[in-house]
Amino acid sequence: MVDRTPYQNPIELLQGTLDLLVLQTLTWGPRHGYGIAGAIRAGSNEALQVDTGSLYPALHRLEREGAVGAEWKTSENNQRVKIYRLTPQGRRKLTQERTRWERLMQAMSGVLDAPRAPVTDEA
Amino acid sequence: MKPFLAFFGRRRRERELDDEIAAHLAMAIADRVARGETERDAQIAARRELGNEALVKETTRAQWGWGSLERFGQDVRYGLRLLKRSPGFTAVAVLTLALGVGANTAILSVVNAILLRPLDYASPDRLVVLLHRGRNPVAPGNYLDWKARSRSFASMGAAENWSANLTSGDVPEKLPAMRMTADILPMLGARPRLGRAFLPADDAAGRDHVILITDGLWKRRFAADPDVVGKAVTLNGESYAVLGVMPPGFQFAPFWHTDAEVWAPLDLRARASNREGSSLRVFGRLKDGVSLEAARQEIAAVTAALEREYPGTNRDVRVTGLQEMVVGDVRPALLVLLGAVGLVLLIACANVANMLLARSSARRREIALRAAIGASRGRMVRQILTESLVLAAAGGAAGVALGAWALELLLAFAPASIPRLSDVRLDARILLATFAVALATGVAFGLAPALQASSVGLHEALKDGGSSGASREGGRLRRVFVAAEFAIALVLLVGAGLMVRSFVALRRIDPGFDPRGVVSMEVSVAGTRQAEPGRRKVLYPEILERFAAIPGVKAAGAINHVPIAGDIWGFPYTVEGRPRPAPGQSPVAAYRAVLPGYFATMRLPILRGRDVAATDTAGAPGVVLVNDFLARRIWPGEDALGKRIAVDGPDDAPVWLTVIGVVKNAVQNDWSAPPDDEIYLALLQREQLTDSSGPQAAYVTYVVRTDGDPAALVPALRAAVWRIDRTLPISQVLTMPDVVAQANARARFQTLLLAVFAGVAALLAAVGIYGVMSYVVSRRAREIGLRMALGAHPRDVVRLVVGQGMAMALAGAAAGLAAAFLARRLMSGVLYGVGPSDPLTYGVVAALLLAIGLAASYLPARRAARLDPMAALRAD
Repeated sequence: MVDRTPYQNPIELLQGTLDLLVLQTLTWGPRHGYGIAGAIRAGSNEALQVDTGSLYPALHRLEREGAVGAEWKTSENNQRVKIYRLTPQGRRKLTQERTRWERLMQAMSGVLDAPRAPVTDEA
Repeated sequence: MKPFLAFFGRRRRERELDDEIAAHLAMAIADRVARGETERDAQIAARRELGNEALVKETTRAQWGWGSLERFGQDVRYGLRLLKRSPGFTAVAVLTLALGVGANTAILSVVNAILLRPLDYASPDRLVVLLHRGRNPVAPGNYLDWKARSRSFASMGAAENWSANLTSGDVPEKLPAMRMTADILPMLGARPRLGRAFLPADDAAGRDHVILITDGLWKRRFAADPDVVGKAVTLNGESYAVLGVMPPGFQFAPFWHTDAEVWAPLDLRARASNREGSSLRVFGRLKDGVSLEAARQEIAAVTAALEREYPGTNRDVRVTGLQEMVVGDVRPALLVLLGAVGLVLLIACANVANMLLARSSARRREIALRAAIGASRGRMVRQILTESLVLAAAGGAAGVALGAWALELLLAFAPASIPRLSDVRLDARILLATFAVALATGVAFGLAPALQASSVGLHEALKDGGSSGASREGGRLRRVFVAAEFAIALVLLVGAGLMVRSFVALRRIDPGFDPRGVVSMEVSVAGTRQAEPGRRKVLYPEILERFAAIPGVKAAGAINHVPIAGDIWGFPYTVEGRPRPAPGQSPVAAYRAVLPGYFATMRLPILRGRDVAATDTAGAPGVVLVNDFLARRIWPGEDALGKRIAVDGPDDAPVWLTVIGVVKNAVQNDWSAPPDDEIYLALLQREQLTDSSGPQAAYVTYVVRTDGDPAALVPALRAAVWRIDRTLPISQVLTMPDVVAQANARARFQTLLLAVFAGVAALLAAVGIYGVMSYVVSRRAREIGLRMALGAHPRDVVRLVVGQGMAMALAGAAAGLAAAFLARRLMSGVLYGVGPSDPLTYGVVAALLLAIGLAASYLPARRAARLDPMAALRAD
């Protein structure tokens, strides 16, 4: 849909990582969808762009799963905004996702950084 | 509960999503403006960044998941849209179902209230009635012996007709009343709302001047006075104390004398050995654990023993359930109607099923296409089913409304003689039940086409364009349905035809007299000055003279009981010169007593001889007129004039009465009953009618003939009576045409109802054949066009289409004739003057129905013949 990428070096988000990022962002405090997208972008030095077409479905799915809660607030410029926050269930999910992600990273770097020789048994 | 809430929460969630995205956009724009972009650039960039807003929302919504109820809602909306798109189909289907359901609701409500709902007494199924031949009253001696000798009954009681002339108060009024033994009210489980019920001690001379009154009378005549208990009223010239007021809605007895408003104790001790004067209706409550059959056997044994002791007094005593007694004689008619209504519902369902079948095959392509783009089979079955349900629900709702309306109409037209009619109301359970039937129809007939449709292969469906070859099986099913509709309609039409013939035969009955222009009224003397001995002989002719002097009165006469509307008394008589019959074996004649002028006023011809005259008084020789039936039966081939009969009891010395006239047979009480023995005495000659204090001498019924409207005479007649004596109660003011109409009201009502149902059935069958043939024509338009392009004449096309339609109609009609013939027994109970297998009715009805079938298939045939061959070929 978007014919011109708005950021310098956009990185396509890996499948399944968006949930992790969203949950992690919410550990810093409740925020609305736009704020979450901004936080991810800022946190990644503008490298990670979150498509609204992915963000909102993810938020609504997490809400349905019970990983995030939501409430409506009125912003300073009188805009009704939906504020998401992490639930205890979301916190557990974050831990799981994080573990999964770290193991994936380890595995990935294991493969990528491996010496030419195959790894020995004691490695 | 959760999907339910989700369903209704959906709209809110849609709005919230809109807000959420709008907020996102607004914040993005605000950030960009803050970073120095112009408002316009910021807007464009933010929108671009957001992407396709609709798609974002769509994918987000997809995360919410669909509750089953939400899916159902979606299907319902889709179904409604489809139905709106074909209003003709929808209107016909909804109307068809509404007719079936509506008629069912109304008739079921009536059947429920009259036949099924128990009577309003405690454990009414244990209550029975003991009567001679199941309907004739019982003598006190017999009742007391039954009560003493039987063991099957927890209690037994008796009641007797009574009339109470209320003369205290403004207007003298004759109140329908009853005397009953103290056993009756406890037996019914009924208690007064004010005061107390009778005690056995009240059944005693001197203590029996107490009454219980209905709630209605209490409100009407006593202004709902809470202190009414203990107040004195004057009935038949004697003082009675009000003992209590019965609760609203209390009625006794339920099958006879149903309008009683006053009850007094019944003292039988003076008559304890009387086995002749049969005037009691005997009621009993079966002991727990005793079956009706056991009680019958015991009573049979008791009465057989009594019959040996007192020959001729205890014949054919029957024990009948009270409910059966009340509704027994309307049951056949109601069951016929119920059957008719059920058949109409069947036709309606068949029609709707047909329409759904036709539609589903018309939509084969749409369904195949939807299957091809990924709709699951279950989802599509569900959706087609939902459509049928929507249709059925609409039809059911319309039917319920129609039923409520039809019930009101029914009650407005129903004759008052139908028992328990006032209890009829629309029953919530019946509404639910009929609505459920409509829904079940939707499911049952929606399911078949749904399964059929969902199994269609895409390739096949798209290839043949859903046209001619499509679903041969569905086509056959539709034709079978239509044939079945015709069969059912024919059965109903035969029933209605028989009822109409029967009704015509009833209308043709000659009552013997000419009811037009005659009004009758009862004048009571009980409890007034006029009851003194000797007064009545003067009063009765004086009233006749006053009536005759009123302008517009052509003739006036009087009789003890007018035919049809009045009571009827039977009296044993003996014929001079014939051996005296054994006790209880005497022939019984309807006993009437007249004042001069009765026959002329009624235009009831005296075939031979003369009317009673003013000179036929107590001192003069006794005279009697007999009806033609009695004259021919007793004196066949002889002249009855001058012969003598006696009507006094067998123990007395006979008082011989000379036959002075033979009168044409007149209808007695039952309009369609064959003539029976009837005698007319000279009322002024019978001291027991003019000077006794018994109930038989308490009143006389005047008949007055006019050329104009008989009802218009009534005020002048009342005034004439009250100028003689202001205290005389006048009651039973009736015009004879109304009386005759009432006598036929039930037959008329049944005929009308059955005719309406049969008409509806024929109409629905016509709609069915029309629908199928229209469908066939539209499906085969291409083939027909081709035939015409190849030279077929429009006439051939008409013949082709009509031929197919008539094949269904003929098959159905043949099956219907056979079914009607097989079911003919069901009708015989409600017919008069026509056999249940009357060939004329069958023939006319079959011809009529086939004509309807012809017309209904001709319309689509003509449309087919007018097809433009080129257009038909190009289409599709």
